Amino acid sequence: MFSIDLMSRVPIYEQIYKKIIELIINGSLKENDQIPSVRSFAKETGVNPNTVAKAYQELERNGIIYSLTGRGSFIAKLDEKMLKAFALADFDNVVKEALKKNIPPTELKERIDEIAEKEDLPK
Amino acid sequence: MIELKNVTKAFKAHKALDNVDMTINKGSVYGLLGSNGAGKSTILRLLSGIYRQEGGEVLIEGKPVYDNVELKQRIFFINDETVQFTSYTLNNLKDLYKSYYPNFSEEIFEKLKTKINLPTNRKISTFSKGMKRQAIFIIALACNTDYLLLDEAFDGLDPTMRIIVRQMLVDAMIERNLTVVISSHNLKEMNDLCDTVGLLHNGKIIFSSELDNLKGDIHKLQLAFSDNTQEITREQLEETGLEILHFEKNMSVYHIIVKGDIDTVKAAFAVKKPTIFDIVPLTLEEIFIYEMEVLGYDYSDIND
Repeated sequence: MFSIDLMSRVPIYEQIYKKIIELIINGSLKENDQIPSVRSFAKETGVNPNTVAKAYQELERNGIIYSLTGRGSFIAKLDEKMLKAFALADFDNVVKEALKKNIPPTELKERIDEIAEKEDLPK
Repeated sequence: MIELKNVTKAFKAHKALDNVDMTINKGSVYGLLGSNGAGKSTILRLLSGIYRQEGGEVLIEGKPVYDNVELKQRIFFINDETVQFTSYTLNNLKDLYKSYYPNFSEEIFEKLKTKINLPTNRKISTFSKGMKRQAIFIIALACNTDYLLLDEAFDGLDPTMRIIVRQMLVDAMIERNLTVVISSHNLKEMNDLCDTVGLLHNGKIIFSSELDNLKGDIHKLQLAFSDNTQEITREQLEETGLEILHFEKNMSVYHIIVKGDIDTVKAAFAVKKPTIFDIVPLTLEEIFIYEMEVLGYDYSDIND
């Protein structure tokens, strides 16, 4: 379920953090779903348990997961706005790059429609 | 917790450690980085009670390590030379260490032995270098100590064995909150094993920091301007208060290594309106090279 790229430049705790959010966005993890304990996550991936714990703390601090003593960690009630912002972070960057390269916004908007059509996704 | 307070250690006129202060939290994996002769092995030998410091204190859980039998029964040190007692078999070796380490666990020994599948009745002298390393790792973990000190201990292990040993360390951390202090030149390995690292140079500690904080605090930038007449200089950047570790212009693209909070860095460059602007985190290897460059330990000097 969790693949961590140990060679990546991205810090491992950040990878774990983003992975959980990604799984929430694509619907693999839903509200009140249990996620692996720090122990089993570390055992499964070979990641330093302190690093896993740090990612979990950060997730909990930002209200993405909650933990019940003795029972484990669970996905919290989802803040749609936050998830949307996360999903669109890369989009914003790509749009900025395109605008800097003098591609007009109208062309970008058309392209979104084209992609939706091609992939048969809701417009 | 492991503490070095103002520690000095000299060998005749050579100062191996010079006023070193260092704290290693219980349950963490601490990586000692540094050039050859920086003092890494000296620290590990002080922590295992082999050396005695000339000045300062070497404390584990608040108690001095040197000559402290009770404490030393809870510390295992794998040094950079391979196994001694080469006329022993693995089973003989087990009996020997068992007599020194009261918490020795037959259960762990059996479990790891099965996992690694080493011959138990052949003399260690007939083992390859890598097999000797595997043998001592089995013994070390079976000694069931709270502290494990590793000096270049991954050397000689093949990639599969590295993963197995790594997994064994993670298990021990989970099971008994093992604290690991490790020195290695293999920064890729350190990068994904350690949560805290310290850099030593000429017997002094340059920094000691959580790896993630360290990585969040130092950035590699690539930028370029559409207008070729527009330029930035290292001095200009330093005037804005940024700490520049490395500055290089190649054709029209700048490669800059800068220390500081990412938002501050972004803001400082945004006013210049570059057309290309990428920020990537550094690998531990890059952090090492650039920090050492600042200290004047620079591979480009070799060409002079």
